[in-house]
Amino acid sequence: MNARKWRKVSLAALIGTVTVVSACSKGGESSSGSSSPSPSTAASSSPSASAAPSVANGPLTKYPQEITVTTVRSANAATKYQAGDTLDSNIWTKSFKADLNINVTNKWTVSDQQFKNKLTVSMVSGDLPDFFLVDDQQLQLLVQAGQIMDLTDLYNKYATDLTKQTFGNDMKSVRMQAATFGGKLMAIPNGGGSHDDLPMVWVRKDWLDALNLQPPKTMDDVMNIAKAFANNDPDKNGKKDTFGLSLDYNLWGGWSGLDGFFNGYGAYAFNPTKGSGTNLVFLKGADGKPAYADIQPEVKTALGKLQELFKAGAINPEFSVIDGAKSGELATQGKVGMSFGQWWVGTWPIADMKKADPKVEWQAYPLVSADGKPVKGLSTSALPTKFYVINKNAKNPEAVFKLLNYFNEKVYGKTPDETYHQVVKDGTTYQVFSYAPIVGTPTETNQNDYEAIQAALQSNDATKLTPAANTYYTAIQKYKTGDFGNFVWWSTFGPSGAFGILGNYKKNNLVVESGYTAPPTETMVSKGPTLRDLEAKAFTKIIMGDPLDSFDDFVKQWKQQGGDQILKEVAESGKFN
Amino acid sequence: MIGKFRKIAYPLHVMLLPGLIVIAIFSYGPMVGIVIAFQNFNPTKGLFGSNWVGLEHFRYVYSLPDTYNVIRNTLVISSMKLVVDLVVTIGTALLLNEIRLKLFKRSIQTIIYLPHFLSWVILSGILIDVLSPNTGMLNEFLAWLGFKRIFFLGNENWFPFVLVGTNTWKEFGFGTIVYLAALTGINPALYEAAVLDGASRWKQTLHITLPGITPIIVLMLTLSVGNILNAGFDQVFNMYGPAVYSTGDILDTFVYRTALINAQLSVATAVGLFKSVISCFLISASYLIAYRLANYRIF
Repeated sequence: MNARKWRKVSLAALIGTVTVVSACSKGGESSSGSSSPSPSTAASSSPSASAAPSVANGPLTKYPQEITVTTVRSANAATKYQAGDTLDSNIWTKSFKADLNINVTNKWTVSDQQFKNKLTVSMVSGDLPDFFLVDDQQLQLLVQAGQIMDLTDLYNKYATDLTKQTFGNDMKSVRMQAATFGGKLMAIPNGGGSHDDLPMVWVRKDWLDALNLQPPKTMDDVMNIAKAFANNDPDKNGKKDTFGLSLDYNLWGGWSGLDGFFNGYGAYAFNPTKGSGTNLVFLKGADGKPAYADIQPEVKTALGKLQELFKAGAINPEFSVIDGAKSGELATQGKVGMSFGQWWVGTWPIADMKKADPKVEWQAYPLVSADGKPVKGLSTSALPTKFYVINKNAKNPEAVFKLLNYFNEKVYGKTPDETYHQVVKDGTTYQVFSYAPIVGTPTETNQNDYEAIQAALQSNDATKLTPAANTYYTAIQKYKTGDFGNFVWWSTFGPSGAFGILGNYKKNNLVVESGYTAPPTETMVSKGPTLRDLEAKAFTKIIMGDPLDSFDDFVKQWKQQGGDQILKEVAESGKFN
Repeated sequence: MIGKFRKIAYPLHVMLLPGLIVIAIFSYGPMVGIVIAFQNFNPTKGLFGSNWVGLEHFRYVYSLPDTYNVIRNTLVISSMKLVVDLVVTIGTALLLNEIRLKLFKRSIQTIIYLPHFLSWVILSGILIDVLSPNTGMLNEFLAWLGFKRIFFLGNENWFPFVLVGTNTWKEFGFGTIVYLAALTGINPALYEAAVLDGASRWKQTLHITLPGITPIIVLMLTLSVGNILNAGFDQVFNMYGPAVYSTGDILDTFVYRTALINAQLSVATAVGLFKSVISCFLISASYLIAYRLANYRIF
């Protein structure tokens, strides 16, 4: 299972991050000028300029004498390196040394699967590096133990305008608040802050055409399409061997999840079977008090519809046994015609289908509602899950901000340098940006790229595009001429691509978020996993045919076995709004 | 007398030393970590800096509504595995022992050893396909015979038996090795005498072969009883789903889901300690029973 899960994550998330991080923000334009020395000048790899002796220690100034900063790294097995490059020595470490006089050394490097355990061991033995990447749980432990540095002043003093901009220039945002404890900034968020996880519905357009169906406008259309895909032989092979709606035992997820299906009925349930059980969604009830999204009556309605689909054979009867990788295989084998999912579905699992068979036509459509009114999607990704923290004993904590500033300048700055971002040599793509020990994560780069590419496609003028957006643009042009190996870029940044749908959601604010974004409460941690299992059992069985009214039993049990206590804690936390 | 014994035994005991040191470092040393079970363990505060909470984590596990169910499943599944495994393995070993054609015997052995070397991650993928109600080989066969198709992995009633069956299928071949070795240790003169007395093949098996391998059977049983709370994490984790939690969820998968995913290391350690104590007790008990009933001593 681990191998499978890892494969899914690495394929999807890897390609995902490539596009997320690879895009170059136009935001850099406004960053020059205010701080001195101007970050873009400093970073334009002219060591003499950046080493201006007039400024003692600015956000991007070179140290007069070489200093050493330690960190630890996790290596992804899928990352490719050019000859001579390693995580210990690459263009980033060399440039850090040349331009900033900072020598970044890795105390140790392990595979990304072992990283968390290895870091825990380092914590126990007290052998922590100067700065390192942690998850939300480790962050809390480190804060409690007082082992990491308060970054509030350092951030204000050493983060460049561009770096601040990648964090939305807003210390009150969900993302920055997640790193703030008692009014002090204790960590630098990695990721988070975006609504790019909003769900959409991916449909086999060629199957729609084969059965004379229209793209869905309401949830009833979704139901009919799912049933027709299963029962009316959309692949015309004379066999009843297809399913309408993709589903796996995780129930939620960016591929073959139910997130979007629930949203269509105004339900905002979210509690993946394989998740932690502590990231729950709380909505504001009619009385203004927090209400758990997964026990609302709308969820029952949606489950009833799913049961109907299951009975009609539109859902794989084996969904309770298969994982996301397996349900992805069913899609690539042409057995499934529809799935709710996120924008990256085009990058995995369906990326190569069009190349293998040009007739295959997957298309993303916006979510639809039961009554045809605009529908809001649930977004849970505003909260970051990874953070950079600085050891309280670090000698040069400001150096970490310099590294981050330098990264942002090279990748998202006014004059981005592709050699620091992504290099294509002999048909192999090297994700050079991922070698950096600290990476910036602006939120709307993909969205901005999408808009820029649409403008370029209309005007046939690609000169204004950033280098990264230009690669996508070229790939889209190639797709248009029949080179279907570029489906990934077409489905993401093309005229009818996923980011068009996301852009529309964002523009019209069709977003629902949990009212509670603070760390899990005590009972969430202790009872969350058991309640998650209870929910997974109940939902799975209802879909598979248990009486719909057993949902009411589930609600009762959920409340009794700790749910009421959780709701009380959320209400009393003062962090629910 | 005693002095003489010491003289002879002394070098032998010195030779034991490296082994003892390795055990001390790798088995007894890590036991210090048991203290985590009685703390609210915070890695940054270290093994002895975390807050002591006494038996709170044991009480917490005890208070979870699923705990009883999970312990019951663990015992049911692993006792079934123990019995079925033993019977099938010994049966196979006896049958293999009767084969006189060497090439045939060796080929069979190689084929039945093979599944042992595949991990459950791979096997579960294969089994999900083989047992699939729509397209699986087994269900196609059942349908062809006129039976109803069975959703083996999604049906609460079938799931434990699927676990036992597939586990036996994977391990029985490899398990025969020990018994085959024991069988070669039986004095052939006994069989010759039995043949002279007119004993049939079956009578020989009953009165010579089985008694001859009883010590090994008792040894293997005693060792397995200590493992009875390990019902096979790898296997269950790769094959189960929410639909079969009620009969398929075992202690290890339960702890993985409730404690390890959320890095509640203290809870996980508490359950591990609980399992070890029970296992220690069971091993002692089964050793005593073996000694009393079969007059067999391992040590």
